Amino acid sequence: MVTPARHVVVVLLAMLAWPAVRSSAQGLTIDTAGDALKIRAPGFSFLKGEPLARLKDGRTVRVELSGLVLPGPGKSPAAAARRIFALSYDLWEERFAVTTVEARPQSVSHLAQTAVEAWCVDHLTIPLAALGVLGREQQFWIRLEYRFVDSDGVSDQPDPGYTLQALIDVLSRRRKTEASPHALEAGPFRTPARRSSRR
Amino acid sequence: MRTGVTVRHSPDCAIFLNANNFAMGSLLALSEGMRTLGMLLTLLAVVPQATIDQKLAAPEGTTIVAAQVTGFDIDRLSPGLREEIRSLAGTPLKQQRLDELAARIEAERPRHVAAVRTVMEPDGQARVMFVVGRSGESDPDDNVNARYIVEEAELTGVPEAEVSQALRDELQGLVGKRLDSGDADRLQERIENELPNYEVSRRIRRGSERGRIRLLYEARKRELPSWLRFESLRSNALFHSEQGWGTYLDLGIGDRNIRFTPIVAWDYADDLVEEYSGYGLRFETRKLGTRRLGASLEYSWFDTDWRTPTLGALTFKPEVPRPYTSRSTITPLLKFALSPALNVAAGVSISELEPLFPESASRMANAAVASIAFGQRWKDGSHATHNAEASFGVRAGSRQLESDLAYTRYLGQGSYRYDLGRHHVQATGMAGAITGHAPLFERFTLGDSSTLRGWDKYAIAPAGGDRVIYSSIEYRYTGLALFLDVGSVWDENSERKVRVSTGFGFHAGPAFFVVGFPLNTDNLSAIVTMGLRIPGTGIRW
Repeated sequence: MVTPARHVVVVLLAMLAWPAVRSSAQGLTIDTAGDALKIRAPGFSFLKGEPLARLKDGRTVRVELSGLVLPGPGKSPAAAARRIFALSYDLWEERFAVTTVEARPQSVSHLAQTAVEAWCVDHLTIPLAALGVLGREQQFWIRLEYRFVDSDGVSDQPDPGYTLQALIDVLSRRRKTEASPHALEAGPFRTPARRSSRR
Repeated sequence: MRTGVTVRHSPDCAIFLNANNFAMGSLLALSEGMRTLGMLLTLLAVVPQATIDQKLAAPEGTTIVAAQVTGFDIDRLSPGLREEIRSLAGTPLKQQRLDELAARIEAERPRHVAAVRTVMEPDGQARVMFVVGRSGESDPDDNVNARYIVEEAELTGVPEAEVSQALRDELQGLVGKRLDSGDADRLQERIENELPNYEVSRRIRRGSERGRIRLLYEARKRELPSWLRFESLRSNALFHSEQGWGTYLDLGIGDRNIRFTPIVAWDYADDLVEEYSGYGLRFETRKLGTRRLGASLEYSWFDTDWRTPTLGALTFKPEVPRPYTSRSTITPLLKFALSPALNVAAGVSISELEPLFPESASRMANAAVASIAFGQRWKDGSHATHNAEASFGVRAGSRQLESDLAYTRYLGQGSYRYDLGRHHVQATGMAGAITGHAPLFERFTLGDSSTLRGWDKYAIAPAGGDRVIYSSIEYRYTGLALFLDVGSVWDENSERKVRVSTGFGFHAGPAFFVVGFPLNTDNLSAIVTMGLRIPGTGIRW
């Protein structure tokens, strides 16, 4: 017979395990295109909560995506690529549009949410030359991060000061990569020769 | 490669471009030459030229005395970026780091350009200015809704009388045109400036027909800042090389105006003569109809232990009330704010003390409680933060309150803290006196993890004292601390001895490790305290 206490334990364990399950469901692979390494993360979603509500209010949301090449899980990056994207939501078409924030911007519109997120990840490339610092045949990990750079209500920076969560973070032995809700890390990969390398 | 430009004004108005001294952010690095030059001139018009023209650019490695943002409200940047800019003070100047921060300003505010200017101050330190200005009007709008016509622009949430005609005209000026996010941003800033007591948000909705949109500004009255403060939280787990381990946990759970604080203590002896273990619960509200009036109610029960030196000292002090085995206290208080910085509190503290020896009856220590507290925090032009706090409290045990112990306890305390980048200075002081027969939990002690570090309170005054005077000064550079403590705790009719201690400490987040040395003694032995201090642990719903 299953006691109520056991039910509670099972539910608690399921709640604790849920983030890990979600994280592992988001696959990350790499590919090469010309002289660049491309990241593919079909399940990687960053439009949710406050930023998504802001988009639906017709505002522009800017997100910075970072692709980091790590020599080992949780280690300092050996190479990085960053790009800022300006996203907006067409109120009449009910589709998303995105523009890269740079001197010669690239744009696309009429995309569904998953498509616009994939477009941003797809346009984050790491020069293959940057992997040279790792040496040939050396394994590496890829970390995909995002952060919103607007400050009007979508800042993801926590308030300074201690909270219970902050205390748990300080005292826990978890690596930062696991603690951050805005990142996806996968590996090991091997330095691609010229065309395609999959995990 | 670093991109930068310096413009020097000379009598013939020639403009020199120098790639080393005036660093620009990423947008400048990427944008076309002519537009950049135009932006630069705009930016330079923002800089208070008269004050800096004659000053030299600061070289790499110079200590930064202050970093500021001009031409743009720094509070509109994200908290993380604001903090990074402010924390430049006290660090050596690194041009690359400044360039990165300028680039981040531009990334957060794409319709603006940011430049870095560094100037040498007469004292040999550097002042850093991030000069921010609007970029050219020709920026393409990155919002896909920019192709739609604004059919209505509306401001809600503000009484008509508070909105100026000029603002209304500007609002109507957007109608009939395609949406321009830059214009909409500017108007939002204008509304926020004209209505500082409101928070303004903006949203766009579909209009009455396809291709048309409605631009809605929604103003919401800002919540006024609280005038009363909650009781300070002081969770900690401490080790004192002479007194052992002790833990005190208080967890604030509540919202802006109401808070419940469960309290648990284990073998805690850091603030009183006794070592106590037990629990408590405090309820506080800082708004009873008005933000000037608040209240709190605290109940606690603690089991007490007494150190051998304390029991030994008490045999020679028959005038001091006897020790007890447990203490339960209930304290209702009313609080009133005279101003945001000054408040008073009054109430009663009802304590029942269970005797250490079973044959005795329990004793009541009931006291009227009153206090006045001042707290003010301010910043100066160099971005230094000052924090001053002072309080004076009286606790009077009276037969009229059915107290078995009649006494009066006075305690005045003050502290001042100065923060500038990684430099922190804190000065504290207190003085107190007790008349009558105060219970042991009211008696003063020195020689713990925060007072007279380097001395053990059970060596100085194992039964506490009815007089205390104390002051301390501490300097911290990031996590390294140096301190000097001076104080004395004594009984009125006994000899008063002033004790001095000094030492150093390491502080990393909530963790600390402090070594203190007594100075005016022949027995030069170090006292180590370490542990965790988490002063603001709480959950907000």
